[in-house]
Amino acid sequence: MIFLFIALPLVVAGILPLVGKISPRLLPDILANAVFAALLAIALLAGPSLIGQGAGLQPLVFLGEPLGIHLALDGFSLFMLTAISLVGLCIGLFSVNYMEHYGHKAAYYALLLIMLAGMNGLVLVTDLFQVYLFLEVAAIASYALVAYGLGHEELEASFKYLMLSAVSSALIVVSVTLLFGLTGSLEFGAVSQALRSLDQPLAAGLCAALFIMGFGLKAALIPFHAWLPDAHPSAPAPISAALSGLLIKVSGIYALTRIFLKVFGLTPALSNILMILGAVSMVVAAFLALGQKDIKRMLAYSSISQVGYIVLGIGLGTPLGILGGLFHLLNHALAKSLLFLNSGSIQMAAGTRNLEEMNGLSKKMPVTAATTLVGSLSIAGVPPLNGFWSKLIIVMALVQAKRFGFALAAILASVLTLWYYLIIQRRAFFNKPDEKWRDVREAPFLMTTATVVLALLCIVIGIFFTATISTWIEPARDALAGGLQVIQSSIGIQ
Amino acid sequence: MMAVQIGLLCGLVVFSLLAVLVRDILKAAISLAVASLLLGILFFRLDAPYAGAFEISVVAGLITVLFVVTIALTKAEGGVRESRLAAWIFPLFFVVFLVIDFLVMRRLIGQIASLPAPAEAGTFGQVLWKGRTFDLIAQVGVIFAGVFAVLALFRKRSKHE
Repeated sequence: MIFLFIALPLVVAGILPLVGKISPRLLPDILANAVFAALLAIALLAGPSLIGQGAGLQPLVFLGEPLGIHLALDGFSLFMLTAISLVGLCIGLFSVNYMEHYGHKAAYYALLLIMLAGMNGLVLVTDLFQVYLFLEVAAIASYALVAYGLGHEELEASFKYLMLSAVSSALIVVSVTLLFGLTGSLEFGAVSQALRSLDQPLAAGLCAALFIMGFGLKAALIPFHAWLPDAHPSAPAPISAALSGLLIKVSGIYALTRIFLKVFGLTPALSNILMILGAVSMVVAAFLALGQKDIKRMLAYSSISQVGYIVLGIGLGTPLGILGGLFHLLNHALAKSLLFLNSGSIQMAAGTRNLEEMNGLSKKMPVTAATTLVGSLSIAGVPPLNGFWSKLIIVMALVQAKRFGFALAAILASVLTLWYYLIIQRRAFFNKPDEKWRDVREAPFLMTTATVVLALLCIVIGIFFTATISTWIEPARDALAGGLQVIQSSIGIQ
Repeated sequence: MMAVQIGLLCGLVVFSLLAVLVRDILKAAISLAVASLLLGILFFRLDAPYAGAFEISVVAGLITVLFVVTIALTKAEGGVRESRLAAWIFPLFFVVFLVIDFLVMRRLIGQIASLPAPAEAGTFGQVLWKGRTFDLIAQVGVIFAGVFAVLALFRKRSKHE
């Protein structure tokens, strides 16, 4: 069952170009969205029971012969799989109308499904080399998707992304090689045990530094962020949503968290490095976002800033900090995907991404305006929306751990976030409608359906945040508990 | 023995550098193939015959053929000039890397107690199907991604033309 998360999107991606020959539009739309819906159904319905039955580590058997495939499903991976499938389904629905003018939908959906398979694989593997492999599967598909429009800007952004991502992959694979040389294993548990018994702090530190740089580049933490403000705005809107909402979180934050909490163990030094990187990203990117005129570029800088919050919470390493970080990961995935999709609706209707050229679109695009407001207020941390609770938990965790400077930085960045999201609202939607928008119409039905679903989720999770935390976030946090022992005992936080 | 190894490593670095620095893309592709061939020989000498066979057949062989075919099918377009900065940055970066490597990495790597490397155990099939089965699925994903990327990107370019 768990294997379907990788096999199903790969198989459907393989047949999509053939299906596209028979029906260039309808069948690719249906097939791709059916895969997203099926995976979401499996994650929601079968996932919790699989974990409950203790089916954590599943060896696969083919014709009676055991295959060398081990997939691990725990609370953390199920949480990520659910987030990927949920946001993926909304992106798939949005793409039905939005990707019409790009053409060749079969190739587009095939690449999107391969990216999904890469992310799912990365979440389920228990082996360092396989982390690298699935990282590459998702990354290669994403390079092509960023360049999908084939304009000069898209190609340049994709090339820049490819170059920096290659550096990131090289750093990760060097670290994996060194760890294999040190421990003789690639499996998470075995590497972790061997590292504890080896007593090689210098070598382990070198590997950790390479991982921080490698995954830091994937997560676009400052100072490794140079590729993101070009790549994310240049891609078609659904892909921007997938990159900002999912890919940087899976290939950056998930991998970083899994490896540092389950393999290395979060030492105080590592915790401090992650917190500093998180805090710098949070504040600096918020200031950089303020000066942007391109709505998608502003959203891209906002992604860097919000990733900073997540890393700050997880890097703190206390149970409450990790809870807040993981909750913010989910909330940001929903709200940022919503905002990127809405930026696509605006671009499609008004033909511009420049905030200074937009005025009074709320009259012409009321659903887009309303859902953008929900997404903006959610990310800015306004109660009672979901983003408020996750930010509050992160700040509470920082105060509880007596890291008052970081708590202050988190509050400052939140104020800055509210500021630049109000700029978007004021320039794009408020004010008197411009005469030139008289022919502008609201986005088509499926595009607005996708954004309304995401906006409703932001509201519902905000209202029922305790249920969300106990059902999805706490099991994810508990799955990481083994790696938390180190920091709990060393800094004395219970 | 060590002299041959060092000679092969130096050759690997020189041809890798040429692959990046040479302006003629056909010569760059051939330099990459030679670098890969030398790496494959190194793998054989270090008791990793499967890795060596893959390196030589896939990277030095198949990938080079793909590069050469693609270059043959691509029309040279005038008017695109490479920035002079690019010609300086890579060699500068390489020299800085060599200095850091010489000063820091050699000592650092020397401190890592590496395990004795046994020869690859089992038949090729056992290694591939029993040991690293899942890697094959990820590689199918990588190949799919590459093929669909080419299909998607080249399709649109011809439409624009």
